[in-house]
Amino acid sequence: MGQSMSFGLTQFDVDELIAYSKGAFTQQEIEALYKRFRALDRGRKGFITADEFLSIPELSINPLAKRLAYLFESINFREFVGLLAPLSRAASREDKLRCMFSVYDVDGDGAISEEDMEIVLRQLAGSSLSDEELKSIIAKVMRTAGVGERGLTFPDYKAALEGLEIDLHVEVPIED
Amino acid sequence: MASAVRFKDQGAAGNGGLHRTSSGQGYGLRSLKNKTFSRGDLPAFAAEQEMQGQESTKVMQLAVDEAVVLAEREGAAQHQGNVLADVLDISSPLNDAAAAIVDDSFLRCFKTLPDDPWNWNAYLFPLWLMGVVVRNCILFPLRLIMLLLGFVIFVLGFAVVGLLFKGHRLKQAERWLVQFLCRMFVVSWTGVIKYHGPRPVPQAGRVWVANHSSMIDFAVLGAYSPFAAIMQLHPGWVGLIQKRYLKSLGCLWFNRTQAQDRTLVAQRMREHVHNPDSTPLLIFPEGTCVNNEYCVMFKRGAFDLDATVCPVAIKYNKIFVDAFWNSKKQSFTAHLMKLMRSWALVCDVYFLEPQNRQPGESAQQFAERMQRIIADKARLRIAPWDGYLKYYNLGEKHPDLIEKQRRVFSEAIRQHAEPAAASA
Repeated sequence: MGQSMSFGLTQFDVDELIAYSKGAFTQQEIEALYKRFRALDRGRKGFITADEFLSIPELSINPLAKRLAYLFESINFREFVGLLAPLSRAASREDKLRCMFSVYDVDGDGAISEEDMEIVLRQLAGSSLSDEELKSIIAKVMRTAGVGERGLTFPDYKAALEGLEIDLHVEVPIED
Repeated sequence: MASAVRFKDQGAAGNGGLHRTSSGQGYGLRSLKNKTFSRGDLPAFAAEQEMQGQESTKVMQLAVDEAVVLAEREGAAQHQGNVLADVLDISSPLNDAAAAIVDDSFLRCFKTLPDDPWNWNAYLFPLWLMGVVVRNCILFPLRLIMLLLGFVIFVLGFAVVGLLFKGHRLKQAERWLVQFLCRMFVVSWTGVIKYHGPRPVPQAGRVWVANHSSMIDFAVLGAYSPFAAIMQLHPGWVGLIQKRYLKSLGCLWFNRTQAQDRTLVAQRMREHVHNPDSTPLLIFPEGTCVNNEYCVMFKRGAFDLDATVCPVAIKYNKIFVDAFWNSKKQSFTAHLMKLMRSWALVCDVYFLEPQNRQPGESAQQFAERMQRIIADKARLRIAPWDGYLKYYNLGEKHPDLIEKQRRVFSEAIRQHAEPAAASA
Protein backbone atom coordinates (compact mmCIF):
# COMPACT_ATOMS: atom_id res chain seq x y z
CA MET A 1 0.00 0.00 0.00
CA GLY A 2 1.30 3.39 -0.84
CA GLN A 3 4.13 1.77 -2.66
CA SER A 4 4.37 3.45 -5.98
CA MET A 5 4.96 1.35 -9.00
CA SER A 6 8.08 2.75 -10.56
CA PHE A 7 8.05 0.60 -13.63
CA GLY A 8 5.23 -1.11 -15.46
CA LEU A 9 7.13 -3.75 -17.42
CA THR A 10 8.13 -7.17 -16.14
CA GLN A 11 11.32 -8.92 -17.14
CA PHE A 12 9.15 -11.17 -19.25
CA ASP A 13 7.76 -8.17 -21.14
CA VAL A 14 11.21 -6.72 -21.63
CA ASP A 15 12.66 -10.00 -22.87
CA GLU A 16 9.76 -10.41 -25.20
CA LEU A 17 10.20 -6.87 -26.55
CA ILE A 18 13.93 -7.35 -27.05
CA ALA A 19 13.18 -10.51 -29.03
CA TYR A 20 10.48 -8.65 -30.94
CA SER A 21 12.93 -5.91 -31.84
CA LYS A 22 15.34 -8.66 -32.97
CA GLY A 23 17.90 -7.49 -30.48
CA ALA A 24 17.96 -3.94 -31.82
CA PHE A 25 17.45 -2.56 -28.32
CA THR A 26 19.00 -3.42 -24.99
CA GLN A 27 17.02 -3.66 -21.78
CA GLN A 28 18.09 -0.16 -20.78
CA GLU A 29 16.95 1.20 -24.11
CA ILE A 30 13.59 -0.54 -23.78
CA GLU A 31 13.19 1.05 -20.36
CA ALA A 32 14.04 4.48 -21.75
CA LEU A 33 11.64 3.98 -24.64
CA TYR A 34 8.91 2.95 -22.24
CA LYS A 35 9.34 6.14 -20.26
CA ARG A 36 9.30 8.13 -23.45
CA PHE A 37 6.19 6.35 -24.65
CA ARG A 38 4.37 7.14 -21.44
CA ALA A 39 5.44 10.76 -21.66
CA LEU A 40 4.08 11.04 -25.20
CA ASP A 41 0.87 9.24 -24.29
CA ARG A 42 -1.17 11.98 -22.69
CA GLY A 43 -3.69 10.69 -20.23
CA ARG A 44 -2.31 7.14 -20.06
CA LYS A 45 -4.48 5.74 -22.83
CA GLY A 46 -2.00 3.03 -23.67
CA PHE A 47 -1.55 4.23 -27.22
CA ILE A 48 -0.25 7.32 -29.01
CA THR A 49 -2.23 9.33 -31.52
CA ALA A 50 -0.90 11.08 -34.60
CA ASP A 51 -1.57 14.44 -32.95
CA GLU A 52 0.59 13.52 -30.02
CA PHE A 53 3.37 12.61 -32.40
CA LEU A 54 3.09 15.82 -34.31
CA SER A 55 3.23 17.80 -31.08
CA ILE A 56 6.96 17.05 -31.05
CA PRO A 57 8.24 20.19 -32.78
CA GLU A 58 11.28 18.54 -34.29
CA LEU A 59 9.07 15.88 -35.85
CA SER A 60 6.46 18.29 -37.12
CA ILE A 61 8.96 19.94 -39.46
CA ASN A 62 10.06 16.65 -40.93
CA PRO A 63 9.16 16.49 -44.62
CA LEU A 64 7.76 13.01 -44.10
CA ALA A 65 5.82 13.98 -40.97
CA LYS A 66 2.43 13.22 -42.51
CA ARG A 67 3.39 9.83 -43.83
CA LEU A 68 5.08 8.89 -40.57
CA ALA A 69 2.19 10.14 -38.46
CA TYR A 70 0.00 7.76 -40.43
CA LEU A 71 2.33 4.85 -39.69
CA PHE A 72 2.50 5.82 -36.03
CA GLU A 73 -1.23 6.45 -35.58
CA SER A 74 -2.73 4.81 -32.47
CA ILE A 75 0.11 2.42 -31.76
CA ASN A 76 0.72 0.70 -28.45
CA PHE A 77 4.11 0.29 -26.86
CA ARG A 78 4.88 -2.98 -28.59
CA GLU A 79 4.19 -1.47 -31.99
CA PHE A 80 6.18 1.59 -30.98
CA VAL A 81 9.22 -0.59 -30.30
CA GLY A 82 8.58 -2.56 -33.47
CA LEU A 83 8.51 0.57 -35.62
CA LEU A 84 11.63 2.08 -34.10
CA ALA A 85 13.70 -1.10 -34.01
CA PRO A 86 14.73 -1.12 -37.70
CA LEU A 87 15.90 2.48 -37.35
CA SER A 88 18.52 1.62 -34.79
CA ARG A 89 22.13 1.03 -35.65
CA ALA A 90 21.94 -2.55 -34.43
CA ALA A 91 19.18 -3.54 -36.84
CA SER A 92 20.04 -5.78 -39.76
CA ARG A 93 20.36 -4.36 -43.24
CA GLU A 94 17.36 -6.39 -44.31
CA ASP A 95 15.18 -4.82 -41.59
CA LYS A 96 16.38 -1.32 -42.35
CA LEU A 97 15.54 -1.80 -46.00
CA ARG A 98 12.16 -3.26 -45.16
CA CYS A 99 11.40 -0.28 -42.96
CA MET A 100 12.25 2.22 -45.69
CA PHE A 101 10.27 0.13 -48.12
CA SER A 102 7.21 0.20 -45.90
CA VAL A 103 7.38 3.99 -45.75
CA TYR A 104 7.41 4.06 -49.53
CA ASP A 105 4.66 1.46 -49.89
CA VAL A 106 1.81 3.83 -49.09
CA ASP A 107 -1.09 1.51 -49.92
CA GLY A 108 0.62 -1.41 -48.19
CA ASP A 109 0.14 -3.91 -51.02
CA GLY A 110 3.73 -5.12 -50.91
CA ALA A 111 4.88 -3.16 -53.94
CA ILE A 112 5.77 0.47 -54.55
CA SER A 113 3.55 1.56 -57.37
CA GLU A 114 4.07 4.78 -59.28
CA GLU A 115 1.30 6.38 -57.23
CA ASP A 116 2.98 5.35 -53.98
CA MET A 117 6.23 6.83 -55.11
CA GLU A 118 4.57 9.99 -56.26
CA ILE A 119 2.95 10.54 -52.87
CA VAL A 120 6.19 10.04 -50.95
CA LEU A 121 8.34 12.03 -53.34
CA ARG A 122 5.85 14.85 -53.34
CA GLN A 123 6.18 15.04 -49.56
CA LEU A 124 9.94 14.89 -49.77
CA ALA A 125 10.41 17.36 -52.58
CA GLY A 126 7.52 19.76 -52.02
CA SER A 127 6.11 21.94 -54.73
CA SER A 128 9.36 23.13 -56.29
CA LEU A 129 9.48 20.06 -58.49
CA SER A 130 7.04 20.16 -61.39
CA ASP A 131 4.67 17.28 -62.10
CA GLU A 132 6.49 16.49 -65.33
CA GLU A 133 9.85 16.37 -63.61
CA LEU A 134 8.45 14.16 -60.88
CA LYS A 135 6.83 11.82 -63.39
CA SER A 136 10.01 11.54 -65.41
CA ILE A 137 12.07 10.80 -62.31
CA ILE A 138 9.63 8.09 -61.27
CA ALA A 139 9.68 6.64 -64.76
CA LYS A 140 13.46 6.63 -64.71
CA VAL A 141 13.57 4.89 -61.34
CA MET A 142 11.12 2.24 -62.52
CA ARG A 143 13.01 1.76 -65.74
CA THR A 144 16.45 1.58 -64.10
CA ALA A 145 15.24 -0.83 -61.44
CA GLY A 146 13.51 -2.88 -64.10
CA VAL A 147 10.21 -3.48 -62.37
CA GLY A 148 7.16 -5.53 -63.24
CA GLU A 149 3.52 -4.59 -63.51
CA ARG A 150 2.76 -4.12 -59.82
CA GLY A 151 5.66 -1.80 -59.26
CA LEU A 152 8.77 -2.07 -57.17
CA THR A 153 8.53 -5.15 -54.95
CA PHE A 154 10.75 -5.64 -51.93
CA PRO A 155 13.30 -7.83 -53.76
CA ASP A 156 13.47 -5.15 -56.47
CA TYR A 157 13.91 -2.47 -53.84
CA LYS A 158 16.65 -4.44 -52.14
CA ALA A 159 18.44 -5.04 -55.43
CA ALA A 160 18.18 -1.35 -56.32
CA LEU A 161 19.99 -0.30 -53.16
CA GLU A 162 22.54 -3.11 -53.36
CA GLY A 163 25.91 -2.03 -52.12
CA LEU A 164 24.69 1.24 -50.66
CA GLU A 165 25.28 1.73 -46.98
CA ILE A 166 21.96 2.22 -45.22
CA ASP A 167 22.67 4.85 -42.63
CA LEU A 168 19.91 4.46 -40.06
CA HIS A 169 21.30 5.03 -36.62
CA VAL A 170 18.85 6.31 -34.04
CA GLU A 171 20.21 6.13 -30.53
CA VAL A 172 17.96 5.91 -27.53
CA PRO A 173 19.23 8.25 -24.82
CA ILE A 174 19.71 6.31 -21.62
CA GLU A 175 19.18 8.19 -18.41
CA ASP A 176 21.31 7.32 -15.46
CA MET B 1 23.58 13.70 -52.63
CA ALA B 2 25.29 14.49 -49.40
CA SER B 3 23.73 17.64 -48.15
CA ALA B 4 22.50 18.41 -44.69
CA VAL B 5 20.96 21.73 -43.96
CA ARG B 6 22.08 23.12 -40.68
CA PHE B 7 20.92 26.15 -38.84
CA LYS B 8 23.68 27.50 -36.70
CA ASP B 9 24.48 30.62 -34.83
CA GLN B 10 26.79 32.74 -36.81
CA GLY B 11 28.64 35.63 -35.27
CA ALA B 12 27.34 38.28 -32.93
CA ALA B 13 24.56 39.33 -35.22
CA GLY B 14 23.11 35.86 -34.82
CA ASN B 15 21.94 35.55 -38.37
CA GLY B 16 20.68 32.09 -39.04
CA GLY B 17 23.33 30.59 -41.24
CA LEU B 18 23.00 27.51 -43.33
CA HIS B 19 25.80 25.06 -43.23
CA ARG B 20 26.30 21.89 -45.06
CA THR B 21 27.99 19.05 -43.37
CA SER B 22 30.23 17.35 -45.83
CA SER B 23 30.54 14.26 -43.67
CA GLY B 24 26.85 13.59 -43.22
CA GLN B 25 24.92 11.65 -45.75
CA GLY B 26 21.56 12.71 -47.01
CA TYR B 27 19.63 15.84 -46.23
CA GLY B 28 18.06 16.77 -42.98
CA LEU B 29 18.18 18.90 -39.93
CA ARG B 30 20.63 17.00 -37.81
CA SER B 31 21.56 19.98 -35.72
CA LEU B 32 18.04 20.12 -34.45
CA LYS B 33 19.02 17.46 -31.99
CA ASN B 34 20.48 20.23 -29.94
CA LYS B 35 21.52 18.31 -26.91
CA THR B 36 23.75 21.18 -25.88
CA PHE B 37 20.95 23.69 -26.29
CA SER B 38 23.03 25.99 -28.36
CA ARG B 39 21.32 29.24 -29.10
CA GLY B 40 20.30 30.31 -32.49
CA ASP B 41 18.85 27.01 -33.47
CA LEU B 42 15.67 26.64 -35.31
CA PRO B 43 13.13 28.51 -33.16
CA ALA B 44 15.55 31.33 -32.61
CA PHE B 45 16.09 31.38 -36.31
CA ALA B 46 12.36 31.60 -36.87
CA ALA B 47 12.10 34.43 -34.38
CA GLU B 48 14.97 36.25 -36.00
CA GLN B 49 13.45 35.85 -39.34
CA GLU B 50 10.21 37.31 -38.09
CA MET B 51 12.10 40.20 -36.60
CA GLN B 52 14.62 41.00 -39.23
CA GLY B 53 12.24 40.22 -41.99
CA GLN B 54 13.56 40.10 -45.46
CA GLU B 55 17.20 40.71 -44.72
CA SER B 56 17.70 37.47 -42.89
CA THR B 57 15.50 35.64 -45.38
CA LYS B 58 17.84 36.77 -48.08
CA VAL B 59 20.84 35.55 -46.15
CA MET B 60 19.08 32.24 -45.64
CA GLN B 61 18.17 31.94 -49.26
CA LEU B 62 21.71 32.61 -50.37
CA ALA B 63 22.94 30.02 -47.94
CA VAL B 64 20.41 27.48 -49.14
CA ASP B 65 21.34 28.15 -52.73
CA GLU B 66 24.98 27.68 -51.93
CA ALA B 67 24.22 24.43 -50.16
CA VAL B 68 22.20 23.29 -53.10
CA VAL B 69 24.90 24.07 -55.63
CA LEU B 70 27.45 22.21 -53.54
CA ALA B 71 25.07 19.32 -53.04
CA GLU B 72 24.58 19.00 -56.76
CA ARG B 73 28.27 19.13 -57.49
CA GLU B 74 29.05 16.59 -54.82
CA GLY B 75 26.11 14.40 -55.75
CA ALA B 76 27.24 14.29 -59.36
CA ALA B 77 30.75 13.42 -58.31
CA GLN B 78 29.76 10.73 -55.88
CA HIS B 79 26.92 8.72 -57.31
CA GLN B 80 27.49 9.56 -60.90
CA GLY B 81 23.78 10.14 -61.08
CA ASN B 82 22.69 7.02 -59.25
CA VAL B 83 18.99 7.69 -59.47
CA LEU B 84 18.04 4.68 -57.39
CA ALA B 85 20.18 5.65 -54.41
CA ASP B 86 19.07 9.27 -54.58
CA VAL B 87 15.39 8.55 -54.76
CA LEU B 88 14.95 5.33 -52.84
CA ASP B 89 17.26 5.90 -49.89
CA ILE B 90 15.18 7.91 -47.44
CA SER B 91 17.30 7.15 -44.40
CA SER B 92 18.03 10.79 -43.66
CA PRO B 93 14.54 12.11 -42.91
CA LEU B 94 13.81 8.85 -41.11
CA ASN B 95 16.83 9.38 -38.88
CA ASP B 96 15.68 12.89 -38.07
CA ALA B 97 12.20 11.65 -37.31
CA ALA B 98 13.33 8.74 -35.16
CA ALA B 99 15.69 10.95 -33.19
CA ALA B 100 12.82 13.33 -32.45
CA ILE B 101 10.51 10.47 -31.50
CA VAL B 102 12.82 8.86 -28.98
CA ASP B 103 13.82 12.11 -27.33
CA ASP B 104 13.19 15.78 -27.89
CA SER B 105 14.42 18.75 -26.03
CA PHE B 106 11.07 20.51 -26.07
CA LEU B 107 8.85 18.19 -24.05
CA ARG B 108 11.63 17.84 -21.49
CA CYS B 109 10.90 21.42 -20.43
CA PHE B 110 7.40 20.42 -19.37
CA LYS B 111 8.04 17.24 -17.48
CA THR B 112 6.57 17.01 -13.99
CA LEU B 113 8.55 15.48 -11.20
CA PRO B 114 6.78 12.26 -10.15
CA ASP B 115 5.54 11.94 -6.58
CA ASP B 116 7.99 9.91 -4.61
CA PRO B 117 6.52 8.54 -1.37
CA TRP B 118 9.22 7.71 1.17
CA ASN B 119 7.32 4.78 2.66
CA TRP B 120 10.30 2.56 2.06
CA ASN B 121 10.29 0.23 5.03
CA ALA B 122 8.47 -0.98 8.10
CA TYR B 123 9.41 1.90 10.39
CA LEU B 124 9.23 4.64 7.80
CA PHE B 125 5.86 3.50 6.60
CA PRO B 126 3.88 4.42 9.75
CA LEU B 127 5.64 7.75 9.85
CA TRP B 128 4.84 8.40 6.23
CA LEU B 129 1.25 7.27 6.76
CA MET B 130 0.91 9.64 9.67
CA GLY B 131 2.14 12.37 7.40
CA VAL B 132 -0.44 11.49 4.79
CA VAL B 133 -3.19 11.61 7.39
CA VAL B 134 -1.97 14.90 8.85
CA ARG B 135 -1.56 16.48 5.45
CA ASN B 136 -4.87 15.36 4.02
CA CYS B 137 -7.15 15.29 7.05
CA ILE B 138 -5.81 18.11 9.22
CA LEU B 139 -3.70 20.53 7.23
CA PHE B 140 -5.73 20.46 4.06
CA PRO B 141 -9.14 21.30 5.61
CA LEU B 142 -7.61 23.96 7.82
CA ARG B 143 -5.86 25.57 4.89
CA LEU B 144 -8.95 25.36 2.75
CA ILE B 145 -11.05 27.04 5.42
CA MET B 146 -8.43 29.74 5.81
CA LEU B 147 -8.26 30.34 2.10
CA LEU B 148 -12.03 30.50 1.75
CA LEU B 149 -12.22 32.86 4.71
CA GLY B 150 -9.58 34.98 3.05
CA PHE B 151 -11.68 34.98 -0.07
CA VAL B 152 -14.78 36.11 1.80
CA ILE B 153 -12.87 38.95 3.46
CA PHE B 154 -11.37 39.87 0.12
CA VAL B 155 -14.70 39.99 -1.69
CA LEU B 156 -16.45 41.86 1.12
CA GLY B 157 -13.47 44.17 1.51
CA PHE B 158 -13.59 44.97 -2.16
CA ALA B 159 -17.26 45.89 -1.96
CA VAL B 160 -16.73 48.00 1.15
CA VAL B 161 -13.74 49.98 -0.10
CA GLY B 162 -15.61 50.55 -3.33
CA LEU B 163 -18.28 52.35 -1.34
CA LEU B 164 -15.97 54.18 1.06
CA PHE B 165 -13.10 55.45 -1.04
CA LYS B 166 -12.52 57.08 -4.35
CA GLY B 167 -9.56 57.73 -6.64
CA HIS B 168 -6.11 57.22 -5.24
CA ARG B 169 -7.27 55.95 -1.85
CA LEU B 170 -9.46 53.36 -3.49
CA LYS B 171 -6.59 52.13 -5.59
CA GLN B 172 -4.37 51.82 -2.58
CA ALA B 173 -7.00 49.90 -0.64
CA GLU B 174 -7.56 47.55 -3.54
CA ARG B 175 -3.86 46.92 -3.91
CA TRP B 176 -3.71 46.11 -0.24
CA LEU B 177 -6.60 43.68 -0.60
CA VAL B 178 -4.98 41.88 -3.51
CA GLN B 179 -1.78 41.59 -1.54
CA PHE B 180 -3.83 40.21 1.34
CA LEU B 181 -5.36 37.57 -0.91
CA CYS B 182 -1.94 36.62 -2.29
CA ARG B 183 -0.75 36.20 1.28
CA MET B 184 -3.71 33.99 2.08
CA PHE B 185 -2.79 31.84 -0.90
CA VAL B 186 0.80 31.57 0.25
CA VAL B 187 -0.39 30.69 3.75
CA SER B 188 -2.62 27.99 2.28
CA TRP B 189 0.47 26.21 0.98
CA THR B 190 2.49 27.08 4.07
CA GLY B 191 4.79 28.90 1.73
CA VAL B 192 8.34 29.14 3.01
CA ILE B 193 9.52 31.86 0.72
CA LYS B 194 12.82 33.63 0.98
CA TYR B 195 13.01 36.92 -0.81
CA HIS B 196 16.50 38.04 -1.71
CA GLY B 197 17.47 41.46 -2.92
CA PRO B 198 15.85 44.88 -2.56
CA ARG B 199 12.07 45.15 -2.36
CA PRO B 200 10.65 46.50 -5.60
CA VAL B 201 8.98 49.90 -5.53
CA PRO B 202 6.67 51.39 -8.15
CA GLN B 203 8.54 53.58 -10.58
CA ALA B 204 7.77 54.76 -14.08
CA GLY B 205 9.76 53.20 -16.88
CA ARG B 206 10.41 49.93 -15.12
CA VAL B 207 9.20 46.47 -15.86
CA TRP B 208 9.79 43.27 -13.92
CA VAL B 209 10.34 39.99 -15.70
CA ALA B 210 10.43 36.55 -14.11
CA ASN B 211 10.63 32.93 -15.09
CA HIS B 212 7.32 31.12 -14.94
CA SER B 213 6.39 27.76 -13.43
CA SER B 214 2.81 28.17 -12.39
CA MET B 215 0.17 30.80 -11.86
CA ILE B 216 1.15 30.69 -8.22
CA ASP B 217 4.22 32.74 -9.20
CA PHE B 218 1.91 35.69 -9.22
CA ALA B 219 0.79 35.06 -5.66
CA VAL B 220 4.34 34.36 -4.51
CA LEU B 221 5.50 37.74 -5.79
CA GLY B 222 2.23 39.53 -5.03
CA ALA B 223 2.42 38.55 -1.37
CA TYR B 224 5.64 40.52 -1.09
CA SER B 225 4.79 43.51 -3.19
CA PRO B 226 1.75 44.07 -5.39
CA PHE B 227 2.32 43.57 -9.08
CA ALA B 228 0.17 43.95 -12.12
CA ALA B 229 0.78 41.09 -14.51
CA ILE B 230 0.24 40.23 -18.12
CA MET B 231 -1.71 37.03 -18.10
CA GLN B 232 -3.61 34.59 -20.17
CA LEU B 233 -7.33 34.84 -19.44
CA HIS B 234 -8.48 31.63 -17.79
CA PRO B 235 -11.91 30.10 -17.63
CA GLY B 236 -13.80 29.44 -14.37
CA TRP B 237 -13.19 31.07 -11.02
CA VAL B 238 -9.69 32.18 -11.96
CA GLY B 239 -11.09 34.16 -14.86
CA LEU B 240 -13.65 35.70 -12.53
CA ILE B 241 -10.93 36.94 -10.18
CA GLN B 242 -8.93 38.19 -13.11
CA LYS B 243 -11.80 40.12 -14.61
CA ARG B 244 -13.46 41.43 -11.51
CA TYR B 245 -10.62 42.07 -9.09
CA LEU B 246 -7.18 42.06 -10.65
CA LYS B 247 -8.31 44.67 -13.11
CA SER B 248 -7.95 47.29 -10.40
CA LEU B 249 -4.22 46.61 -10.33
CA GLY B 250 -4.02 47.20 -14.03
CA CYS B 251 -3.49 43.54 -14.88
CA LEU B 252 -3.70 42.93 -18.59
CA TRP B 253 -4.83 39.71 -20.13
CA PHE B 254 -5.02 38.29 -23.56
CA ASN B 255 -5.67 35.15 -25.42
CA ARG B 256 -2.41 33.52 -26.33
CA THR B 257 -3.65 32.23 -29.63
CA GLN B 258 -5.11 35.52 -30.81
CA ALA B 259 -2.59 37.69 -32.62
CA GLN B 260 -4.70 40.85 -32.50
CA ASP B 261 -5.02 40.48 -28.75
CA ARG B 262 -1.28 40.46 -28.54
CA THR B 263 -0.79 43.71 -30.44
CA LEU B 264 -3.36 45.41 -28.28
CA VAL B 265 -1.67 44.15 -25.13
CA ALA B 266 1.70 45.36 -26.38
CA GLN B 267 0.29 48.84 -26.72
CA ARG B 268 -1.42 48.82 -23.32
CA MET B 269 1.75 47.42 -21.77
CA ARG B 270 3.74 50.39 -23.00
CA GLU B 271 1.18 52.83 -21.59
CA HIS B 272 1.17 51.04 -18.27
CA VAL B 273 4.95 50.98 -17.87
CA HIS B 274 5.38 54.68 -18.54
CA ASN B 275 2.56 55.76 -16.26
CA PRO B 276 4.04 56.80 -12.89
CA ASP B 277 0.83 55.98 -10.98
CA SER B 278 0.57 52.38 -12.05
CA THR B 279 1.39 49.26 -10.10
CA PRO B 280 4.72 47.66 -11.07
CA LEU B 281 4.23 45.56 -14.15
CA LEU B 282 5.27 41.93 -14.02
CA ILE B 283 5.80 39.97 -17.21
CA PHE B 284 6.53 36.30 -17.66
CA PRO B 285 8.33 36.46 -21.00
CA GLU B 286 8.33 32.70 -21.47
CA GLY B 287 4.61 33.01 -22.06
CA THR B 288 3.88 29.60 -20.59
CA CYS B 289 4.59 27.51 -17.51
CA VAL B 290 7.90 25.62 -17.56
CA ASN B 291 8.96 23.02 -15.02
CA ASN B 292 11.51 25.19 -13.19
CA GLU B 293 14.37 23.07 -14.55
CA TYR B 294 14.51 24.62 -18.00
CA CYS B 295 13.95 28.08 -19.32
CA VAL B 296 12.36 28.43 -22.75
CA MET B 297 12.73 31.34 -25.14
CA PHE B 298 11.98 34.79 -23.78
CA LYS B 299 9.54 36.62 -25.99
CA ARG B 300 10.84 40.00 -26.79
CA GLY B 301 7.68 42.04 -26.03
CA ALA B 302 8.83 42.94 -22.53
CA PHE B 303 12.21 44.11 -23.78
CA ASP B 304 10.95 46.46 -26.40
CA LEU B 305 9.26 48.97 -24.09
CA ASP B 306 12.13 51.45 -23.65
CA ALA B 307 12.05 50.55 -20.00
CA THR B 308 14.57 49.36 -17.45
CA VAL B 309 14.07 45.65 -16.96
CA CYS B 310 14.30 44.23 -13.45
CA PRO B 311 14.92 40.49 -13.56
CA VAL B 312 13.31 38.26 -10.96
CA ALA B 313 14.44 34.66 -10.60
CA ILE B 314 12.06 32.22 -8.92
CA LYS B 315 13.42 28.86 -7.87
CA TYR B 316 11.17 26.30 -6.24
CA ASN B 317 12.54 23.63 -4.01
CA LYS B 318 10.87 20.40 -5.05
CA ILE B 319 11.51 18.59 -1.81
CA PHE B 320 7.83 18.50 -0.78
CA VAL B 321 5.93 19.29 -3.93
CA ASP B 322 6.62 20.19 -7.54
CA ALA B 323 5.22 23.67 -8.09
CA PHE B 324 5.12 23.30 -11.87
CA TRP B 325 1.59 23.60 -13.21
CA ASN B 326 1.20 21.24 -16.12
CA SER B 327 -1.90 22.86 -17.55
CA LYS B 328 -2.34 20.13 -20.12
CA LYS B 329 -2.66 17.45 -17.47
CA GLN B 330 -4.22 19.24 -14.55
CA SER B 331 -6.74 21.97 -13.89
CA PHE B 332 -5.53 24.91 -11.85
CA THR B 333 -7.86 23.91 -9.02
CA ALA B 334 -6.34 20.42 -8.93
CA HIS B 335 -2.90 22.00 -8.96
CA LEU B 336 -3.79 24.18 -5.97
CA MET B 337 -5.21 21.18 -4.13
CA LYS B 338 -1.97 19.34 -4.69
CA LEU B 339 -0.02 22.25 -3.21
CA MET B 340 -2.41 22.54 -0.27
CA ARG B 341 -2.04 18.87 0.58
CA SER B 342 1.73 19.00 0.79
CA TRP B 343 3.80 19.90 3.83
CA ALA B 344 5.11 23.15 2.50
CA LEU B 345 6.05 25.10 -0.57
CA VAL B 346 9.69 26.08 -0.38
CA CYS B 347 10.86 28.76 -2.70
CA ASP B 348 13.57 31.35 -3.27
CA VAL B 349 12.87 34.60 -5.01
CA TYR B 350 15.77 36.76 -6.19
CA PHE B 351 15.28 40.36 -7.19
CA LEU B 352 18.30 40.96 -9.41
CA GLU B 353 20.00 44.08 -10.62
CA PRO B 354 17.94 46.11 -13.11
CA GLN B 355 19.36 46.17 -16.61
CA ASN B 356 19.06 48.54 -19.51
CA ARG B 357 19.22 47.80 -23.16
CA GLN B 358 22.71 48.52 -24.37
CA PRO B 359 23.32 50.66 -27.42
CA GLY B 360 23.20 48.56 -30.54
CA GLU B 361 21.52 45.68 -28.76
CA SER B 362 18.36 44.36 -30.39
CA ALA B 363 15.30 43.52 -28.30
CA GLN B 364 15.91 39.86 -29.02
CA GLN B 365 19.51 40.02 -27.84
CA PHE B 366 18.44 41.93 -24.75
CA ALA B 367 15.85 39.24 -24.07
CA GLU B 368 18.50 36.55 -24.39
CA ARG B 369 20.84 38.38 -22.04
CA MET B 370 18.10 38.70 -19.42
CA GLN B 371 17.21 35.05 -19.87
CA ARG B 372 20.79 34.08 -19.11
CA ILE B 373 20.85 36.25 -15.99
CA ILE B 374 17.64 34.69 -14.67
CA ALA B 375 18.53 31.15 -15.71
CA ASP B 376 21.91 31.37 -14.00
CA LYS B 377 20.43 32.57 -10.76
CA ALA B 378 17.57 30.08 -10.71
CA ARG B 379 19.83 27.28 -11.98
CA LEU B 380 17.73 26.64 -15.06
CA ARG B 381 18.95 25.17 -18.31
CA ILE B 382 18.20 27.27 -21.34
CA ALA B 383 16.23 25.59 -24.08
CA PRO B 384 15.92 27.39 -27.40
CA TRP B 385 12.27 26.59 -27.93
CA ASP B 386 9.39 28.98 -28.09
CA GLY B 387 7.04 27.95 -25.27
CA TYR B 388 4.02 28.64 -27.47
CA LEU B 389 4.88 25.46 -29.35
CA LYS B 390 2.80 23.84 -26.64
CA TYR B 391 -0.19 25.42 -28.32
CA TYR B 392 0.58 25.16 -31.99
CA ASN B 393 2.33 22.88 -34.39
CA LEU B 394 5.73 24.11 -35.52
CA GLY B 395 5.33 22.61 -38.95
CA GLU B 396 1.99 24.34 -39.53
CA LYS B 397 3.19 27.67 -38.20
CA HIS B 398 6.47 27.68 -40.10
CA PRO B 399 5.95 25.71 -43.30
CA ASP B 400 9.07 27.40 -44.69
CA LEU B 401 11.18 25.23 -42.40
CA ILE B 402 9.86 22.10 -44.10
CA GLU B 403 9.97 23.77 -47.49
CA LYS B 404 13.69 24.46 -47.18
CA GLN B 405 14.50 20.83 -46.56
CA ARG B 406 12.26 19.89 -49.44
CA ARG B 407 14.02 22.25 -51.79
CA VAL B 408 17.36 20.66 -51.06
CA PHE B 409 15.92 17.24 -51.78
CA SER B 410 14.17 18.31 -54.93
CA GLU B 411 17.35 19.95 -56.22
CA ALA B 412 19.20 16.73 -55.54
CA ILE B 413 16.80 14.58 -57.54
CA ARG B 414 16.02 17.12 -60.26
CA GLN B 415 19.20 16.15 -62.10
CA HIS B 416 17.51 12.84 -62.85
CA ALA B 417 14.54 14.40 -64.56
CA GLU B 418 14.43 14.10 -68.32
CA PRO B 419 15.77 17.27 -69.93
CA ALA B 420 12.58 17.54 -71.96
CA ALA B 421 10.46 17.40 -68.83
CA ALA B 422 12.67 19.86 -66.99
CA SER B 423 12.28 22.46 -69.66
CA ALA B 424 8.57 21.83 -70.12
